[in-house]
Amino acid sequence: MRKIAIYGKGGIGKSTTTQNTVAALAEMGKKVMVVGCDPKADSTRLLLGGLAQKTVLDTLREEGEDVELDDIRRTGFGNTHCTESGGPEPGVGCAGRGIITSINLLEQLGAYHDDQNLDYVFYDVLGDVVCGGFAMPIREGKAQEIYIVCSGEMMAMYAANNICKGIVKFAQAGGVRLGGLICNSRKVDNEREMIEELARQLGTRMIHFVPRDNDVQRAEINRKTVIDWKPEAAQADEYRQLARAIDANDRFVIPKPLTIDSLEHLLIDFGMAA
Amino acid sequence: MHILEERQRQVHRKGSEPFDLDCNKQSAAGSVSQRACVFCGSRVVLYPIADALHLVHGPIGCASYTWDIRGALSSGPQLHRNSFCTDLKELDVIQGGEKKLHKALTQLIVEHQPKAAFVYSTCIVGVIGDDVEAVCRQISAEQGIPVLPVHSEGFKGTKRDGYRAACEALLKLVGTGDPSGVSKASINILGDFNLAGEVWMIRKYYERMGLEVTATITGDGRVDDIRRAHGAALNLVQCSGSMMHLAKVMKDRYGIPFRKVSYFGIEDMSQALYDTAAHFAGVVPGIQERTVELVRGELQYILPEIAEYRKRLAGKKAAIYVGGAFKAFSLVRALRHLGMDTVMVGSQTGLKEDYEELRELCDEGAIIVDDSNPLELSSFLSERQVDLFIGGVKERPIAYKLGIGFCDHNHERKLALAGFEGMLNFAREVYGTVASPVWRLTPRGSAREAAPCR
Repeated sequence: MRKIAIYGKGGIGKSTTTQNTVAALAEMGKKVMVVGCDPKADSTRLLLGGLAQKTVLDTLREEGEDVELDDIRRTGFGNTHCTESGGPEPGVGCAGRGIITSINLLEQLGAYHDDQNLDYVFYDVLGDVVCGGFAMPIREGKAQEIYIVCSGEMMAMYAANNICKGIVKFAQAGGVRLGGLICNSRKVDNEREMIEELARQLGTRMIHFVPRDNDVQRAEINRKTVIDWKPEAAQADEYRQLARAIDANDRFVIPKPLTIDSLEHLLIDFGMAA
Repeated sequence: MHILEERQRQVHRKGSEPFDLDCNKQSAAGSVSQRACVFCGSRVVLYPIADALHLVHGPIGCASYTWDIRGALSSGPQLHRNSFCTDLKELDVIQGGEKKLHKALTQLIVEHQPKAAFVYSTCIVGVIGDDVEAVCRQISAEQGIPVLPVHSEGFKGTKRDGYRAACEALLKLVGTGDPSGVSKASINILGDFNLAGEVWMIRKYYERMGLEVTATITGDGRVDDIRRAHGAALNLVQCSGSMMHLAKVMKDRYGIPFRKVSYFGIEDMSQALYDTAAHFAGVVPGIQERTVELVRGELQYILPEIAEYRKRLAGKKAAIYVGGAFKAFSLVRALRHLGMDTVMVGSQTGLKEDYEELRELCDEGAIIVDDSNPLELSSFLSERQVDLFIGGVKERPIAYKLGIGFCDHNHERKLALAGFEGMLNFAREVYGTVASPVWRLTPRGSAREAAPCR
């Protein structure tokens, strides 16, 4: 079983990319579980056809300690297992602790156990790793590989670089490695080259360039992944390629984060100056 | 004995080096400090207010480890001796504790009808950011009593910061009552916590002198008294560490002067009464004469017995480690009265000027230490071959393990050591432990027996 965490700047398209990739893996016959690690609990909506899922924390609060795996796990597109950790209302409590509690509970209930025959677990984590709780999915014994979703926009690249700093810390303490960057295109000039260069300087590679396509939005309005909504669409093939690239990936590295100066140089060389 | 590098400037030996003691800072990592946390500091200061509700907002451990920590006595209500807690658990931490706090306060206030409520913030509340202030405001409006947040998150500093947070909470009460009818000859007693009835003794002295006591803060304290405490003419502050901030703000805000006093030992006790009498000399006719008479009468009663103990204790050596430095001053003087030398003295929360004064008081060679730990204390006690250690609950096992007499001068005692009567109790207790035959049975004691000419 491979455990994968998806990080990236807020709003970059982590959940959309994750669910489409998971759908493609499921289509390939893989058994996949998705663990949403965002208090908004919107990481499995497209796999579940918009079904509002009761989160782990809601279930714990309403039903007490006596929780069964089926209470917090739904079956989505292609027999994927879907769970959402959930979290507090905005502005109160500690969402980070919520992630820790949820993942611990999933482990206790055997969601990762061999008898589940999982090929993949995907953790879809809230945009910014704001505190220790949001780094829970990449601690020792949790996700071993990370993909960062980014684009050619400056703040997305800053965020990707920052996330790499976090990975370095956890890579030294445990076994987590960076598997690559996923460019979710925003149609920025020279975007592909810039992200390839960023990846190279980080010591990794751009594992796939996902072009911008309105079919993604159309599928989302229908509460579906593109793979599910329009399997013959060109964009569906993009996600299939991404899924195959991840499935075949064997390059896992400890990233070398850039200094702010080098990062800005990269932007100037490829962006404005090019 | 190895003293941690970061702590070397917190230990001073009189005579051997220039005085430049480091203090009033966070404890060094790795040093198992004798200090308690910020929350504990607030809790011990406020909780003797007997008709208030004291609610610990945090996990149950914070409440149970500080439950009745001082055993402060009340002449009336006993509400303070409960340990109420919101019992925050895993899911409360995630979802936030505000709703639970609201529910707990509502339920407790309806059931116990307290005059006010104090809500103590613990570490986790500070981390998850519950808006305790807002909940308190809301409950206060709903229930019609003062509900006071105490910002005592444990990680915020030292025990001293907890004292300050407690004073800030008290300052929201002081001045909210009607002071009319408070006599011009009235005082507030600050900084005694009535562990063994001391406040009752002290109060009686002042009343015999012709003074009125408006509020005792906080030993045997009452909310309504504290609310009108700003009507008093003088604040008498004991335990300067915990209550000085309150006294200073009351001076700025209401123009009430304050005096530092101590009720431990004959000299300091008498001085406290004489100073107070002098302050009211023009207001209360005959107060100075009455005070002289009072002191004389008390001394006649206690001195003969103390003289007996003095004979047998002369030349014995003592070590002191207490919370506030002010108490240490009195103890050094009281021990001297018993013929004993203080060879080591330290405190958890002393300030530079406190340590300077201690240095003045002590003989050459005395060790002066700030924010010490068990290892250091044990080594000082052994090095100086002391016969008596005075401290609190955390120092007791250190003394007993070394086979040294011990006198509890802190939270746990049930015998008053303040006042004239207290000095007699103190002398009896010191003599009882120093002269106890049990020490002969310890390794240290038997070594001494074998070599009597040490």
